[in-house]
Amino acid sequence: MNSTDFRNLARTISRLEDNHRETVSRIIQLPLDRPQCHIIGITGPPGAGKSTLCNQLLSQLSEKGKVAILMVDPASPFSGGAILGDRIRLNHLAQHPGIYARSLSNRGNPGGVSRWVVTILRLLMDKGFDYLVVETVGAGQSEVKIASIADTTVVVAVPQLGDDIQTAKAGMMEIADIFVVNKADLPGSEKTANMLREVAMDSSGQWKPPVCQTVATSGEGCQQLVEEISSHHTYLVDNNLLEQKRRNAARFELVEMSSWLLHRQLEELLGERQGQLLVSGQVDLYSRLEKAYEAFINSLSEVSD
Amino acid sequence: MPIRVLIAKPGLDGHDRGAKVVARTLRDAGMEVIYTGLRQSPAQIVEAAIQEDVDIIGLSCLSGAHNSLFPKVVSLLKEKGAEDIKVFGGGVIPDSDIPKLKEAGIVHVFTPGSSLEKIVAAVRDCVQDNE
Repeated sequence: MNSTDFRNLARTISRLEDNHRETVSRIIQLPLDRPQCHIIGITGPPGAGKSTLCNQLLSQLSEKGKVAILMVDPASPFSGGAILGDRIRLNHLAQHPGIYARSLSNRGNPGGVSRWVVTILRLLMDKGFDYLVVETVGAGQSEVKIASIADTTVVVAVPQLGDDIQTAKAGMMEIADIFVVNKADLPGSEKTANMLREVAMDSSGQWKPPVCQTVATSGEGCQQLVEEISSHHTYLVDNNLLEQKRRNAARFELVEMSSWLLHRQLEELLGERQGQLLVSGQVDLYSRLEKAYEAFINSLSEVSD
Repeated sequence: MPIRVLIAKPGLDGHDRGAKVVARTLRDAGMEVIYTGLRQSPAQIVEAAIQEDVDIIGLSCLSGAHNSLFPKVVSLLKEKGAEDIKVFGGGVIPDSDIPKLKEAGIVHVFTPGSSLEKIVAAVRDCVQDNE
């Protein structure tokens, strides 16, 4: 792809982010079911080395095909602005003709990703990218939306983040298809890897998540990670599980978009004046909302027909 | 629709305090700021600006190479058909160099002591002019 292609692609993504109706309606009709494409999610706590690891992944994956990466960072809850700094780690790949990299603000969307991610993935799939990498915001224990989007979810941990109770908790630890212990040159790396192996052994599915130890800054262990990522894709295809993943992603896309519309409407409806009313008590807006909600639910049957 | 800005440091100096202060200020003004870090070539900066679909690029240079690096970014944008992306600059820049930079298409030049409010207002103005 040349600069003009990248420019058009970049502008379409901006229009999606701005909820430009004609663009959304066009892109949402593009297929999401290309099995030869691989959607790879990278998540983990802030500072774990996700972006640096992505830099290594991109340079290896770009030898096998065209790669696009979406890198999500959080928006300010106060100003709505954002510092999108993931690109710093990708600079030497910036001019690679087979790599497209785009930073996205989460625009206040909880859960670790931007609400337009799946729709953007449709567009990238249509443009012929083979590997679609999504890097989440620096995630906590419960930012797990990436698992509804990606074919393969890679959870990046680092040594010394806590004892084995941390790995027993629900949320992030359950969504990994592959675990990475990055910064594996630091003390405690083997212990963390062992704790994660125990989590992996207990996982209920047929796929037991492998644990890779990497040093993203030097590239150590990254070859093995790429191999594990590709074996997971093969596993999904061989067991007819990929279709299920994509169906989940498409459902997630619609639910995400429509709940945002609803949420926005509600915030507007319950503006300053209503806020005053609510805080003073004496009114039951909830029952009125519930009534309105019933009517809304009835009208929904038209959508799925 | 938040304004998208790319803040970059072309050339070889390692002084990024100013660039980071400007990036945070623009964030606090509600803009989405892509920060690309140190030691960027004009070609890298222009490619990033295109892929990120930014409205404007801010260049910070404290090495004295602004006379060659800033205009290079503007001419590369033109070459790639992206001349609607505006470019502003800042850093240790002698007053006598400013007219030449403006002639080369740098819309604003901010030297040490510039007020952050003015930078925010200037960025808003040039992006609105574009629309």
